[in-house]
Amino acid sequence: MIKLTKINKIFADKHQSFHCLKDIDLTINQGEFTVIAGPSGSGKSTLLNIMGMLDKPTSGNYQFDDNDVAKFSSNKLADIRRDKIGFVFQAYNLMPVLTALENTEMIMEFSGVSKKERKQRAIETLEAVGLGEFKNRFPAQLSGGQQQRVAVARAIAAKPLLVIADEPTANLDSQSTESLLDLMVSLNEKLGITFIFSSHDPRVIERAHRVIHLQDGKVMRDEQLENVTAGQPQAAMSS
Amino acid sequence: MIHKLALRNLLRNKRRSSLTSVIIVFAFSMMILFMGLSDGGHKAMIDIGVRMGLGHIIVQHDSYSDDPALQHLIAKPEQVIEQITQQYPTLTAVTRLRVDALIQAGRHGVALTISGVQPNKENQVSAIADQKAIIAGQTLPQFSQDQQMQRLGGIVIGETLAKNLEVRIGDTVTITAKPASGADLARSAFMVAGIFKTGLHEIDTFWAEVPLTSLQTLLEVPNSASQIALYSQANPETLAAITQQLTTALSDYDVQPWQTAAPELYSAVTLDAAGMYLLMLIVYVVVAVGILNTVLMSTFRRQKEFGMMIALGSRASTVSKVVLLEAVYLSAFSLSIGLALGLWGHYHFATEGLNFKEVFGTAMEAGGVLLPEKFYSILDTSKLTLSVLFVFLLTIIVTLIPAIRAGHRSPLAATQDA
Repeated sequence: MIKLTKINKIFADKHQSFHCLKDIDLTINQGEFTVIAGPSGSGKSTLLNIMGMLDKPTSGNYQFDDNDVAKFSSNKLADIRRDKIGFVFQAYNLMPVLTALENTEMIMEFSGVSKKERKQRAIETLEAVGLGEFKNRFPAQLSGGQQQRVAVARAIAAKPLLVIADEPTANLDSQSTESLLDLMVSLNEKLGITFIFSSHDPRVIERAHRVIHLQDGKVMRDEQLENVTAGQPQAAMSS
Repeated sequence: MIHKLALRNLLRNKRRSSLTSVIIVFAFSMMILFMGLSDGGHKAMIDIGVRMGLGHIIVQHDSYSDDPALQHLIAKPEQVIEQITQQYPTLTAVTRLRVDALIQAGRHGVALTISGVQPNKENQVSAIADQKAIIAGQTLPQFSQDQQMQRLGGIVIGETLAKNLEVRIGDTVTITAKPASGADLARSAFMVAGIFKTGLHEIDTFWAEVPLTSLQTLLEVPNSASQIALYSQANPETLAAITQQLTTALSDYDVQPWQTAAPELYSAVTLDAAGMYLLMLIVYVVVAVGILNTVLMSTFRRQKEFGMMIALGSRASTVSKVVLLEAVYLSAFSLSIGLALGLWGHYHFATEGLNFKEVFGTAMEAGGVLLPEKFYSILDTSKLTLSVLFVFLLTIIVTLIPAIRAGHRSPLAATQDA
């Protein structure tokens, strides 16, 4: 699904430059439940941003579904993000003026899903994340955990192939974290959605099938864990 | 959903949106009010101006403007009038003969303009010596019907002139002028039939009117006139077209619209209209700055949201539409209220009128015309519609750049701290 070859990312201005990602080679297959772990500043978020097509690498090749991402226009990239990728951001990033239901419907509206269908799917998804009764509340009326669940509902309601989550549990308490992880594992197992997290939270890492350790912009270790569910992908390419 | 987003974003900062809205409502309603009063004022100025010995259209001898001598009169004016009224039956035509003369009473003498008029016709179109302006005595038509007063021809003179000559109703004055034959000066006695007051110094001091036939006889120019004045109820555009057509049809004559015949009046109206356009410009700037300020503040604080929408797969155009819609909604709402308030104010002044003297304590003179104490608001619907459309267009124009910029936010903004 995702194949990164010799990916480099350098942030530079007039005075200095910072080599954030160094020759990353990585393949993520459909249905994986992968965590990218590493200390702050190791390049986790930058790598996720590149995989999510929010940012472009300075050099290297990124293949998504066997297509060279560098050749896509900004509108094509937007269409892929809309139709194939769901995002869960650390800071939830819900639209404050829309209710939980409307936030969940938003991406489907961008995709042109009919009003009736998107409302039904949004309600079902919100119920699946345990927020059916909160669907008409605005983000400010929800707790952090509930907001993150809405963000997850928004990410999965459009039935993406891939969900990218940048430290989704960073702002959550233990109970919310466990509940969110249960939900994501369940979605991965039932729907085969590929999950890629960035996290250094041990509770997240212990649920993963695969953990890619990143340090100073390099892949230090790529390990397959034992909790791989039957039917889930086995292959992973080490750097 | 983009409509919902736009509306709710406007309500997100109620104070800012309300303040912008109030400014636009106030500016736009004031603009409508002033537009109506300005157009009403102009109409009053023109109406009263053309009735001060002028006309909407003036027809005169080709050389009269350059040399207003008795050699440059219209011969057989009734034939010209017939030609005009056959083509334009709605026009009212009056014939006038004017000459500079000397008026004397006892030891007093004043140089002035004598206007020979058709009393019954002139009385319908002129404001100089009509029933309202006469403060003593009678109008010329009333005088001509009064058999007891028929010893002499009647004359109506201005209030100041009457004071200067020390004459009263029934007194005799002598008019001296040079006749067309160029012979010795001709004299004729007239009885003061009426004294008028227009409020205009020039008219009240140096103007007198006598029956046309009396003056033709005195000047030895039977069946001749200095000018044919045409009056119309048509709108300015139709009037301009009529003037144009008459210019072609009466190629041997000089056909002048009131704008040419009374340049001071035209300048006053134009200057006042320019003031109105300046006010409209200020309103447009206020609306543009108000909308731009709201949109800029609003978009500046929502960079992360725009980035998030892009990150989630929204097209740039969708984000831009949200921003544009916010401006359009704010503008539409404010303009609707402003329009309603402005029209309400216009209705009040269109029915009740604005009493200028009551408000400013004095009557106002402009372009050689004393404005009526009260005038009424008149709204040109096409001008109003254009203003509304222009403000809408302006809203879109000033919002376009912030909207496009919002649509081109990097999706990375979604991942950054607000």
